[in-house]
Amino acid sequence: MNRTLKSSMLTLTAVAGCGLLAGCSSSVVVLTDFPTPLIEPLPVRMGVIYDAELYDFVHAEQIPQQSIWTIQLGDANIAMLEPLFDAMFAETHEVDDLPVGPVDLARLDGVIHPVLQRFEFDVPIGQRDEFVEVWMQYGLSLYEPEGDLVVEWTVSGYGKAELERNQEQAVERAAVVAMREVGAAISTQFVEQAEVAYWLEERQNESALAVDSRVSN
Amino acid sequence: MNPHWQSIHESATSDPRLESRSIRFAGPALVLLTASLLAGCGVTSLMEPYKQTDAVIGSGEQVVVLARKHHSSHEAEGDFVECISDALARGDNGIEVHSSTQFEDMMYPWFEPSTAPLDTAELGELLDKPGVLERVEATGVRFLIWLDGSTDRVSSGGGITCAAGVGGAGCMGLAWWEDDATYDATVWDIHELANAGTIHADFSGRSVMPAIIIPLPFIARPQARACRGLTEQIEQFLTSPSGDGEGINLG
Repeated sequence: MNRTLKSSMLTLTAVAGCGLLAGCSSSVVVLTDFPTPLIEPLPVRMGVIYDAELYDFVHAEQIPQQSIWTIQLGDANIAMLEPLFDAMFAETHEVDDLPVGPVDLARLDGVIHPVLQRFEFDVPIGQRDEFVEVWMQYGLSLYEPEGDLVVEWTVSGYGKAELERNQEQAVERAAVVAMREVGAAISTQFVEQAEVAYWLEERQNESALAVDSRVSN
Repeated sequence: MNPHWQSIHESATSDPRLESRSIRFAGPALVLLTASLLAGCGVTSLMEPYKQTDAVIGSGEQVVVLARKHHSSHEAEGDFVECISDALARGDNGIEVHSSTQFEDMMYPWFEPSTAPLDTAELGELLDKPGVLERVEATGVRFLIWLDGSTDRVSSGGGITCAAGVGGAGCMGLAWWEDDATYDATVWDIHELANAGTIHADFSGRSVMPAIIIPLPFIARPQARACRGLTEQIEQFLTSPSGDGEGINLG
């Protein structure tokens, strides 16, 4: 076998290998708009920390007997959380770090820091399994503007979607359902946290005192 | 593979002298089996409507069809919800149907799987929350129709063997399967905060595909029949005080 033929065969093998590898990987970019929640905003001014990890979150996993999956959730994280916090609080401002600077110290009552802690998914192999499932867990921390922790809690969401022809689209739909569940849990359960309820009461008392002192002066 | 057919197939390959005799037996046996299965082929149905109020839909009022999603094992399929919505809206006397997705978005986060009301008492509590009743009124929706259930393959059997050669190609065998479409449609009246009634639908269909040279599918579609049956009953629910009006002609 001459050198040219060998070289051509190597090239062909490499191209075929790349083609096969490309066929064995699945990529999902979760891109969607989330609705603004229909809730009464709490009378507090909240700073929000969006980490680079949250902005650029990518889940990569090799599924046995299937393929390598990469699921990009960064844009969806922000698309879900921004309108959510805007609806939950009277005012929101994005902040970089804790403790906040003097300007933010004067205009914020608290700072919330969301983190996507876990992402799991399952794509069925058998013919009997009809649903793609996604489970995700966010961690939320509420801080005083000075940096003292008020409360930490976790919120999880589960979503499933019918598996049709396109597995990637089913994973995206299931992820969106799970994220909507997370948004629903955050918006409806925030004030149910005992520490949050106490913290809100303190903020309201402080506001009332401030109003009283302005009136008496 | 059907055991009867398999045994014939195996004996035919093991002894060439028996081949022609086996085929002579296999043909009529397959025809007989197919005929008996075809006799049972089709869709059987059970509808149990139960209307609890005499409420009917008024001019300018809308309905929305939503799937119950809080089960981990099953939920009404998206295309089934779409089928019912489209069929209700169709025709000259079609009912005004609000988009399910748009309704869930407008009411977010109150109609997600974990937050959706499970009974009319919870619906009442939900409507008491700030802004919720106003938003529902803005949609124009008066009746919520919850769909719960799914279509599942409950059994299947048989088998078809195909072969190709220089002289041609062909298939031989018999396959069958049975699908069961079981759904409950629960109708809530938002104005009255009451359960207007429930319709239970159970459609079971057996499909058969005999293959003598070419496969001939005789497909039963219980889900499509369940869609038509439920649509007809829901339409009667919403337009007749007793729920047993003439309804739409679904053919």
